[in-house]
Amino acid sequence: MDNAAVQWECCWDRDLTSLEDCPNLHEGDGDLLASRPRRFLEKCCDCDRFKTDLSRFRESGHPLAPFFAILHNDYRRQRSQIQSLGSFLDTKTLEVRFLHELGSVLQSSVDLDEVLSVALTAITSGKGFGMNRAFLLLADKERHFLRGHLAIGPRSAEEAGRTWQEVSTSDLDLQHLSRAFRQHKLSAERDKFQDILGRLVISMDNIHHIVIRSLEEKKPLLVQNAFQNPDVDQELAQLLGVDSFLILPMLARNRRVGAILADNVITRQPITEDDLRSIETFTFPVAFAIERASLYERLQVEVTKLQDANQRLQEQQELLVRMEKMALVGRITSSIAHSIRNPLMIIGGFARSILKATPEDDPKRGFIDSIVSEAQQMEEVLDEILTYSDALYPVRDFWDVNQLVETVLRDIQEKALSQNYACRFHPAEGLPSAYLDYKQLSYCLRNILVGTIDGLENGALEISTRLDGDRIEILIDDRSRRLSEDELEALLTPFAETHEMGSGLNLALCRNMLEKQDVPFLVVAPPDDGIRYSIKLPTRKEEEP
Amino acid sequence: MNRILVVDDEANIRLLYAEELADEGYEVATAATTAEAVEQLQKQNFDLAVLDIKLKNESGIELLQKIVKERHDMPVILCSAFSCYKDDFSAWLADSYVVKSGDLTELKEEIKRVLAKKAQRKASGM
Repeated sequence: MDNAAVQWECCWDRDLTSLEDCPNLHEGDGDLLASRPRRFLEKCCDCDRFKTDLSRFRESGHPLAPFFAILHNDYRRQRSQIQSLGSFLDTKTLEVRFLHELGSVLQSSVDLDEVLSVALTAITSGKGFGMNRAFLLLADKERHFLRGHLAIGPRSAEEAGRTWQEVSTSDLDLQHLSRAFRQHKLSAERDKFQDILGRLVISMDNIHHIVIRSLEEKKPLLVQNAFQNPDVDQELAQLLGVDSFLILPMLARNRRVGAILADNVITRQPITEDDLRSIETFTFPVAFAIERASLYERLQVEVTKLQDANQRLQEQQELLVRMEKMALVGRITSSIAHSIRNPLMIIGGFARSILKATPEDDPKRGFIDSIVSEAQQMEEVLDEILTYSDALYPVRDFWDVNQLVETVLRDIQEKALSQNYACRFHPAEGLPSAYLDYKQLSYCLRNILVGTIDGLENGALEISTRLDGDRIEILIDDRSRRLSEDELEALLTPFAETHEMGSGLNLALCRNMLEKQDVPFLVVAPPDDGIRYSIKLPTRKEEEP
Repeated sequence: MNRILVVDDEANIRLLYAEELADEGYEVATAATTAEAVEQLQKQNFDLAVLDIKLKNESGIELLQKIVKERHDMPVILCSAFSCYKDDFSAWLADSYVVKSGDLTELKEEIKRVLAKKAQRKASGM
């Protein structure tokens, strides 16, 4: 075949100068004008005119013609393969990028809600796996049941249209999408799907249940024809209301963490094996992230408990140090008091002896009398100090508080009557027993009452008991006196003195005794409203729950 | 006349007790240590002993235990500056417990009470 004599229809054998010279050349193909081999491979091989030329060549009987036709066909087949491989590669690249983004987000979070938001957003977002709806089931703490925990997706076509429109215009990446979901929609979605989530409860012992089977076999399942499928629990199919859905088991270090169910309830688009394989790769990091976040959550609970315990320990330590100091003060005062006691007793004793032997009209009798009474007074002070220092180890038991108050009131009755001081008791009925040191509490009450009555006539005291939570409160209201803040402070300070009520040793001692028994003792003196003492007694031993 | 043994390491207290109790009509002997007390007890019979609990380097409680063991018919009154010993079980062996005071009224009343009780016991043959 003489090439010069043949007029070929296609332009493959000619040099071209303009795009108009070839109907297959378009704008942007300018560089092909300069390279005939590239133009031939990219354009002519698919050109119908070239195919016609090739037929004519075959018809010419040239021995190379059949071989040339084979080459042409094979070249086109291989090129098509390369193109589809390229497109597959592009898809996979996008998938890998998405998984990488997902992985980064999941790895960086230990917040369970954030992890769950990311996981479910990834499944349902168009940039992710594009499913319509997803349900997350989590194993409970005891690993007995899988329970519906969270869901995402529209419940109607209208909602779907609205949401997808919003998402498509927002142009957010996965991290921002999931963050927006977590901040604005998480609890709303949970509420929205509560009717389904509440019923999504699967016993983890039920190995025949398709979700548990997926977990046992550690492989995701694509469920088809759910309503007719004998392997599918019909309750589950009815609950989801779809014929086809995915089950994605989530396992972390062989621990069954939960499962995700995903479907296309709105679009009814078929779910393919390819969808299954794509999503499968994502379940591992999600499961690990969920497990890690759950563990972190538990760790946080333990850390909080530890912090609380540490704080309590610190408080106890401070209390111990305070008690140690008090005990030291107690030991010192006790030692001094005992050293003074014997000489004081001797002075007082001999003074009394001399007084007895001194005639009534002796002018020195008054002096001796003073020695006796001063020594007596000092002995009384010593008694107070010794009681204060001895009050270190209370002996506690359960006692009837009303009875205790009545006994103390009987003890001071004579003194109250002598000063025309009215003491009225209003006991609460049906009180439980209180856990207290009878001797010490009696002492404290007596001290408070005597201190109140002392030096004042025609006053009135109201004493009452009441149940306050798990404690019994004794209230003593003294409306006959007024105290300023400074005087109140002095009242509770050992050896300080108030104009109104004398030495502060008694109340300081009471507070010390009661604090050691973990009994709050409060004294308040609102301006122009008297003084109120409050003692709150426990009704159970501290170690009891 | 009832005879009383006073045991106290303080000389002035012994003197005070001796004076005051003699005024009350008792025959009083004193001892400063447990050894002296034991010696006195071996020499003569006493109707009652008044013991201090803290005796220099000795314990009045030990002396009390010895008396209870060997002279169980002789009542003992413990007299101490330490009110806390009242709660000590071993102090409960004594017939009475008095906290030391310059005012000896309580001590004197206790002595009377304990001796009356002893006399009553003796009369009933116990």
